[in-house]
Amino acid sequence: MNIQFKKGVLELCVLVILCRKDTYGYELVQTISRNVDIAEGTVYPLLRRLMKEGYFTSYIQESAEGPARKYYQITEKGRKYQDVLREEWTRFTAGVNKLILTEETA
Amino acid sequence: MKKEDFLSQLHRALGRMSESEKKEILYDYEEHFRMGAVEGKGEEEICRSLGSPRALGRSYAIESLPDRPEEGHGSATLALRAVLASVSLGFFNIVIVLGPFLGLVGVMIGLWAAAAAIALCGAAVVLAVPLWPMLPFLPGLSVLQGFFCFFTGTALAALGLLAVIGMWKLSLLFVRATVAYVKFNARIVAHRK
Repeated sequence: MNIQFKKGVLELCVLVILCRKDTYGYELVQTISRNVDIAEGTVYPLLRRLMKEGYFTSYIQESAEGPARKYYQITEKGRKYQDVLREEWTRFTAGVNKLILTEETA
Repeated sequence: MKKEDFLSQLHRALGRMSESEKKEILYDYEEHFRMGAVEGKGEEEICRSLGSPRALGRSYAIESLPDRPEEGHGSATLALRAVLASVSLGFFNIVIVLGPFLGLVGVMIGLWAAAAAIALCGAAVVLAVPLWPMLPFLPGLSVLQGFFCFFTGTALAALGLLAVIGMWKLSLLFVRATVAYVKFNARIVAHRK
């Protein structure tokens, strides 16, 4: 799949997951890669950039089972951005689906 | 690939970032390796699913590019650097490049003169044949001698012409090389990467 396109979609995936609950990096990556075929490493640069842009913050939390985890927490700005992206995505896929499913008239 | 290879390749690919920033970035991957290990995945398997560390490093490097040039280095430093570059380049050019360059220019001029001389000489010999009777005090030219002069002259003129064409091409090459070198200098002065 086109890399630029994938990057944009990944952004949406990350924000959607974080809107549901605080998530740590590994869990986030696994949730995405279970559903979408990606090189898992590419999520981390994205996380860093989105965090720099203020869409979420991070905190480290010790866990009972295993190593400490870096959790990401969505901000108000991130939530709004997610709404915009989600809306765009819905409209975009609806349009493409309509295009694909419309029987050829030519 | 093992975890250590992955991390060191990534570290290298991050390029000119501050050490603390690199550490933060590597931390994410170290955590990823730790979590994967907890789930019972091998280091090689984790490396495979992460993707190329070099490509990852590049994507960080791209995203961390300063938006404005003065963020990375002070513009004063940049200017100073440009001045230093031009001064040291100037020194290098005068001491090392200028001598051979002038020598080459001399050689080119000499070759041009030689080529032109051969061509003119040939033309003169050819012209000498019809002009011969007009020249006083000279013994007459036999038919055989006339033919000889004509053909030798033609050959000489052709040879000279070829040499001139060759020199033309050589000069173009020389000019192009000089321009390329000057441009290269300008690029270095503008910003050294």
